Amino acid sequence: MAELRARKMPVIAQDPGVRRDDRILTTTVSVPWEDLQPGPMGHRVCVVDYDASTGKMYKPAVVEDGDLRVPEDAALLADPSFHAKNAYALVMRTLARFEYALGRRVSWGFRAPQLKVVPHAFEEMNAFYSREAEALVFGYYRTGGGVAFTCLSHDIVVHETSHALLDGLRERFMAPSSPDQAAFHEGFGDIVALLSVFSLGKVLRTLLEHSADEDGSQPEGLIAKERVTMESLMDSVLLGLAEEMAAEAGSARTGALRRSVRIEPDAQILDRPEFGEAHRRGEVVVAAMMRTFVDAWTRRLESLGTIEGNYLDLGRVAEEGASIAELLLTMAIRAIDYTPPIHIEFGDYLSALVTADSEVRTDDSRYGLRNGLLEWFGAYGIKPASGTEDGTWLRPDRALRYAGVRFQSLQNDPIEMFALLWANRKRLRFDPSAYTRVASVRPCVRTSPDDGLPLRETVAECVQYVKIRADELDQFGLTPPAGMPPEREVTLEGGSTLVLDEYGLLKYEIYNRLPRKGAADENAEAQKRLQYLWEQGAFDAGRSFNARLATLHRRRVGLDEREARAEVW
Amino acid sequence: MAPAPTQVRIRSYNVGFGDCFLLTFGYDRAKPRNVMIDFGSTKQSATGPRGEMLEIAEQIREDCGGKLQMLVATHRHADHISGFAGKPGEVIASLDPDLVVQPWTEDPDLDPDAKAPAGSGSDGTHRARAVVSRLSAMQALAEAALAAVPKLEASAAVPQTVADQVRFLGETNLKNAESVRNLATMGRKHVYVNFGTKLALSKLLPGIRVDVLGPPTLEQSAAISHQASTDEDEFWHLAARQLGADGAGGAEIFPGAATTRRAPQEARWVIPRVDQMQGEETLAIVRSLDGALNNTSVILLFEIGESRLVFPGDAQLENWSYALHECDEAEEIRARLADARFYKVGHHGSLNATPKSLWNGFEKRKAKPGPERLATMVSTAAGKHGSAARGTEVPRKVLIDELERMSDLRNTQSLKSRELFWNDVELEL
Repeated sequence: MAELRARKMPVIAQDPGVRRDDRILTTTVSVPWEDLQPGPMGHRVCVVDYDASTGKMYKPAVVEDGDLRVPEDAALLADPSFHAKNAYALVMRTLARFEYALGRRVSWGFRAPQLKVVPHAFEEMNAFYSREAEALVFGYYRTGGGVAFTCLSHDIVVHETSHALLDGLRERFMAPSSPDQAAFHEGFGDIVALLSVFSLGKVLRTLLEHSADEDGSQPEGLIAKERVTMESLMDSVLLGLAEEMAAEAGSARTGALRRSVRIEPDAQILDRPEFGEAHRRGEVVVAAMMRTFVDAWTRRLESLGTIEGNYLDLGRVAEEGASIAELLLTMAIRAIDYTPPIHIEFGDYLSALVTADSEVRTDDSRYGLRNGLLEWFGAYGIKPASGTEDGTWLRPDRALRYAGVRFQSLQNDPIEMFALLWANRKRLRFDPSAYTRVASVRPCVRTSPDDGLPLRETVAECVQYVKIRADELDQFGLTPPAGMPPEREVTLEGGSTLVLDEYGLLKYEIYNRLPRKGAADENAEAQKRLQYLWEQGAFDAGRSFNARLATLHRRRVGLDEREARAEVW
Repeated sequence: MAPAPTQVRIRSYNVGFGDCFLLTFGYDRAKPRNVMIDFGSTKQSATGPRGEMLEIAEQIREDCGGKLQMLVATHRHADHISGFAGKPGEVIASLDPDLVVQPWTEDPDLDPDAKAPAGSGSDGTHRARAVVSRLSAMQALAEAALAAVPKLEASAAVPQTVADQVRFLGETNLKNAESVRNLATMGRKHVYVNFGTKLALSKLLPGIRVDVLGPPTLEQSAAISHQASTDEDEFWHLAARQLGADGAGGAEIFPGAATTRRAPQEARWVIPRVDQMQGEETLAIVRSLDGALNNTSVILLFEIGESRLVFPGDAQLENWSYALHECDEAEEIRARLADARFYKVGHHGSLNATPKSLWNGFEKRKAKPGPERLATMVSTAAGKHGSAARGTEVPRKVLIDELERMSDLRNTQSLKSRELFWNDVELEL
């Protein structure tokens, strides 16, 4: 019954700008099989092809099993039902990637099980995730010759799906906290999107062929060794992709990728004012990740034998790249379970990346990805938040008390998890007077490539809030920012991610606790956040601070007011 | 040495939502000199003059004795230049201004529709021209946004406030073709200014120095040259297109594709939400373009002896930041601004057009009334722009409270007479 586990669907490999032999490059992806209704509508995704600009509702698309035919380019572009199926396939593929990496079902950032996907929502060069509408909406826009559809861009669909999935995993990451957190959603979305594109060997192969075509001296199916250095791969694959995307979508859309590639390593970069803006800052993590990818790929290729002295097999080169991208993608997603539930900074993500990976894969000698991550993130001034040499989170030095806590329900019951917290509130430094919520308890099973055996873990997110007046901040060891009125209401938040092993014992506690008196070290970060949030106007009465991701996307092309809390009324 | 004026009267006319100022400088042994700054309205005041803009124009003619030495149109928003069209415009043209001052972005040589002068074409000019072309595309977009209002209103999902604001901003940003044309032809001499432009005024306005503090040119301001990126250009051209500025918007994208008359049940929950998002997207775009045009505003600093008067049009932070923080002379400029006796409140009292560093620098801000206290004027009308719930209302309440507390504020909103439709600030110099 293997054919009922997976469904193969044709998709546009990147976007209609990436072509091979003068045709739009398409490929086949595999998504979990399910009994679909027209839409397509399944149990996790419901495509609604409604266009607010024209008021049209296109007929729901029907997926025929085993139908891998791809229409001719013109017919494909003119067929909304192909677009609907393309979007469905890429959203489902991304969801499946997340579930594979995390070893469990993953929910969206809202209650309903189905994410609504609107492939032709309106005429605008924008696409975004809306938690309120429980939807991904994709705009389209007219270019010189025709219409560009954001729902046909692999990277856009995956980027937006990542927003929806990350929101399901860490609902507080969309809240205001620090410049890093504001940047993280975008940076993570770009990382997942690009690695998802590069995990398609066909795309890598095409980009490499195109760069080789430029001087025309390449023997068929081979690639010269000097073309697979770090520098030339950055150029041919990363910038190459940006250029081919630009041909379709216009440069405004592809600026982010181009800029990420061009950000040269600089350990002070995050202190520069222009990298205070969320998108620019996000591009720095993307740059670190892309360099890790290309570097590992280059090193891997060095160990391959050459053909005719100076050539490598092109297919093999692309395949190696795709495997590394795939592995990095899994790592990038898996890391989310090892991040604090609140107030993420880039250094937390780096520690999460190496910890999560070393739990499942002890042997990293083939690609050296963990060292690569530490090295390249370090080159951009991002150090692991754990402070340890190998970057992994420290294991707790004392065991928890389990008196009265039931093992069985600890794996999925928030109440039981809270019982564990309560029994250990002093040890875990939970503030008993704060509003406390166990946001999630998730049992996961990951397969270790070391021995093929399952690695079982339970991951719980616990968050705490206090609402106080500015003149009460000193009770939490904080000083009000200059100019903050004493009666101003301030919310302080903290939280921990608890990772339990298969016996229910605490393996890691990854935290950003509520500030408290007498904890000067931990409070330094909280004080910085308080200052930042004040400057951003997060505590202003009546100011809605749940910045819509749409606004962020517009800001990407340099629009919208600059955030300058200190100067506005 | 040229004689200096001994007094100035700053008169702010009740145009409703808009700006219109007349500065009359009095001399001991010479005729008074007059400078007019802006003349526009997007919403007449319910308590303004019955004859509206024409009556105001006639009043200005009377107030300036039939002659203007200088006329400033700070930027091309309707609420600053609409009065230069039609009959009121004819009245103003008859005042024969010696000098007409506008921002560099209004220079007809940069007009995308005009033929480029032979031999011109430095890189800088090309980029400047691109900016002007973009502003022009943006205004076409305003028209398209206005055209979209009835549809937004018809949709039950789009809140009325969103439709209202799209209409208001659309009207403000509409190309005021006639006003623009009239401005280009009235007066004896035109200058198109940027930060640092020297105005030769010794004959026209003896004893008065006028510094131009904005807008910066592309080369001057990194912030603005960032905005001049091709990415953004493309964005605006696309935005204009998507709202149908080239007639293509709303056209079928899938001719002949199968549609359903009735939305399937499972689609009905999300459809109104998509409609609402589309309305909000339109508003966000129109709001961005409003800000971009505001930032082309001319900022003027008048200096008579020790007295300084500040007129920033609708300049927002991005425009101000070059003079206040980024240019080489920023420190000196801040010191001179600190001494100001008069401040025309930027952009009708919006939240981001009176930079706090500018306001906090004014040394004559005082809680106590007295002869040395800073005088301020705001020309505004509440309920047109922004929303109090989001903290974006115009005028911004916290700013007005602060102005009232720390300066002698004259607000056109408090004018209730149909006959005496102006506020005055009189200063001895």
